[in-house]
Amino acid sequence: MLNVRDISVYYGVIPAVRDLSLSVERGQLATIVGANGAGKTTTLKAIMGTLLPKRGKIEYKGADVTEFPADRRAGMGIALIPEGRQIFARLTVKENLLLGAYHRRDKDGVKKDQAWIYDLFPVLQERETQLAGTLSGGEQQMLALGRGLMSHPELLLLDEPSLGLAPIIVSDIYKVINEINKSGITILLVEQNINMAMKVADYAYIMETGMLRSCGSPEEVMNRESIMKAYLGE
Amino acid sequence: MRFFNTVFSRLDKRILAVVLVAALFVCLWIANVILSKYIIFIISLIGVYIVASESLNLTNGYTGLFSLGHAGFMAVGAYTSALLTFPVKSRDIFVIARLPAILGGPEAQWPFFPALIMGGIFAAVLAAVVGLPVLRLKGHYLAVASLGLMVLVTALAMNLRDLTRGSIGINSIPTYTNIWWAYIAVLITVYVVWRVVHSSIGRAMKAIREDEVAAKVQGINPLKYKLLSFTIGAFFAGIAGGLYAHLSGAIRPYAFSFNLTFQIVIMVVLGGQGTIAGPVAGAIIITVLRYVLKPLEEALQIYGLVELVYASLLIATMLRKPEGIMGARRVVRKMETSIPTEK
Amino acid sequence: MLTPEYLTQQIFNGIVFGAMYALLALGMTVIYGILRLIHFAHGALITVGAFCFYLFFMVFGLPFPAAIALIIAVGALMGVVLDVVAYKKAVGGPEVSMLITSLGFYIFIENLMKLIVTPQPYAFHTPEYLDKIYSMPMLTFRTIDIFIIVISVAIMVFFQLFVKKTRMGTAMRATSESGEAARMLGININRIISISFILASAIAAITGFMLGAKYGQIAYNMGFMAGVKAFVAIVIGGVGSIPGAMLGGFILGILEMFSVAFLPPGYAAYRDGIVFFILIIILIVKPSGIFGQREVES
Repeated sequence: MLNVRDISVYYGVIPAVRDLSLSVERGQLATIVGANGAGKTTTLKAIMGTLLPKRGKIEYKGADVTEFPADRRAGMGIALIPEGRQIFARLTVKENLLLGAYHRRDKDGVKKDQAWIYDLFPVLQERETQLAGTLSGGEQQMLALGRGLMSHPELLLLDEPSLGLAPIIVSDIYKVINEINKSGITILLVEQNINMAMKVADYAYIMETGMLRSCGSPEEVMNRESIMKAYLGE
Repeated sequence: MRFFNTVFSRLDKRILAVVLVAALFVCLWIANVILSKYIIFIISLIGVYIVASESLNLTNGYTGLFSLGHAGFMAVGAYTSALLTFPVKSRDIFVIARLPAILGGPEAQWPFFPALIMGGIFAAVLAAVVGLPVLRLKGHYLAVASLGLMVLVTALAMNLRDLTRGSIGINSIPTYTNIWWAYIAVLITVYVVWRVVHSSIGRAMKAIREDEVAAKVQGINPLKYKLLSFTIGAFFAGIAGGLYAHLSGAIRPYAFSFNLTFQIVIMVVLGGQGTIAGPVAGAIIITVLRYVLKPLEEALQIYGLVELVYASLLIATMLRKPEGIMGARRVVRKMETSIPTEK
Repeated sequence: MLTPEYLTQQIFNGIVFGAMYALLALGMTVIYGILRLIHFAHGALITVGAFCFYLFFMVFGLPFPAAIALIIAVGALMGVVLDVVAYKKAVGGPEVSMLITSLGFYIFIENLMKLIVTPQPYAFHTPEYLDKIYSMPMLTFRTIDIFIIVISVAIMVFFQLFVKKTRMGTAMRATSESGEAARMLGININRIISISFILASAIAAITGFMLGAKYGQIAYNMGFMAGVKAFVAIVIGGVGSIPGAMLGGFILGILEMFSVAFLPPGYAAYRDGIVFFILIIILIVKPSGIFGQREVES
């Protein structure tokens, strides 16, 4: 479904990602792990389209989306839940969610998804009319997830969903992530928290200083000694 | 081998500088002898503008601030200098107040150089007072606050009639400024700016311009350097104002309007922000353009032609070659690969 | 001198001017919210609006509503032009560059106006029914004053509704918080920016008419001080806040009238200076303004 081929993404003249290739199959839950600065977030941004790679190709559902801007890719079914949530603090919970469905035309589908999301995250329904900025960290993460789901994505990109959250909340979030994947949505998950990531993933990519270091099933990869080094950083 | 080259080239540069300065003065001397008074006036005026633009460059170009108040500082310098040097015997006739005791008493009139310096000092003090609260804030606050300062100063000049003779302005100011004074001032200004820029202070300013957060992390206190840059800029603006007053012999509040600030901003931008030679080039081009186009404007009755040309030049520069004529291509788009992002 | 009648009159005048400042501040804040840019050229649109009205109403003799509709259209069009020519190219560079470019555009338009209309001020006439004077015990006013207040409030109310209730308006609010996040949701940022420019510019054009009507004369440089005062209003109310901008406008109007009232006569020329004095005081005391939000500290 997603095919990333040899992309290099630059910040100015500094390469954040170099010659990276990965692919995710429909229905999979793949994960990218690595230390801080490894280029994981940059990769997700390149897939979403908020950054454009200098070299390489990105294929999604068979189409070459490398040059497409983010809003166009959103229309094609990609959603990114960014690092740090980036919810709209001065809008209400409900407004945030509805904005997630901005590009959708099917009113009934939107209503259905909204009900589903309230089912997954009851607390969001409770706080429907509150300003998003007043929610707790965990609630904001749920809101960010909900908003992303409201766009009815086929490919969901998650950037460090566990960041800054208490362990209990993290395992709740991951239960939901699993559920979302089971419902048929393909997920590409970026995490520093290796343990959680490996528990849910079907396939794992290890990145280090902008390049792919190794990949495989979680067991294979965990068994390789290099993973420890990559996580602790050289 | 490289060490030898460095020493040699540094020596070279000093010799070069001395030779250039000498050449400049020889040229000026020749010009003084053979050219008409009108052209000499323009050349002196260019000198005054160079002082103004070099000093604005320090604030805007090197530190990345956006000060629109330069005309206000020039006004302060001009009026101060004019009021201090006004000949005692003419004061009553022209209804100019006599000096108070601290400034020398009713029979005093100041000589040129100290009066100029005083003008610069007043301007600098004003800059420090306003800069202290405003420079903590984001760029556009300074833009509008400095603009406001200019408006305030002009308003004061128009209304403190006992002091400034209001909108009539002050005439018959002794025309001390000649081509020599102007270019000595130019040399001093350029030298000071050059020294500041190439010192650790200058490096701090550039760091603030490039990335203030990163500069803070390195232990640079942005407020201190911004204040320094703003104040030094204002000081020389005051000097320029004083020079101007004694060059044209007459000053009115309207002369120090937004148009003047804008002209100096263009000189800096067109010539090249963040370079030493830039404002010089800018001052020359803009002044010459004015004297070439003004007769045209009047003949064809196309009012505003000069400013239109200026504005077009500014826009063209900002959109096409933002580093200016003399500038090196340092403006690299921050995220080469990204669609313009927020914040 | 300081009779209750005088004070009431001054407060009323303050409200009228405040309404106009509030409208201008509104337009500027909208653009600032989305582009993080003080849109200096906004002031020029005031001038364009006023002169266009002069052209349509007085020169061409079109009926009043038609003239108003036309200047709104012209304003909107100019907004699009500015957006495409000026800002699309400048976006992404350092903030100071955008300021300078914006300034350049203002000077360009102002002097283009100067060239077209000459530096002479023009007498500005409105339809007679707007000139009718009403004398009440405490207050004297003309219909135009009521017109200004009513229309301003109407525009502000409409705008708030638009931003709070419509899909596009909510998208605008979202974009002003985080363009990147908005884009990821499929919001076309460029279109949002264009719409902001159109709205803000149309509002500026109408405000130009109002200013001309209130002062009775228009000149090529009328937009300058008005534009800068709009900025002061924004600072008073808190940069980045739409209600703040509007409130700031009213406060500025009243403060300005008050200080003019309390000053000895002959100091009227200080009026503009006072506005800036207020600005500097606010920057010293509470730079984030009344509803102050982010992005105050550099």
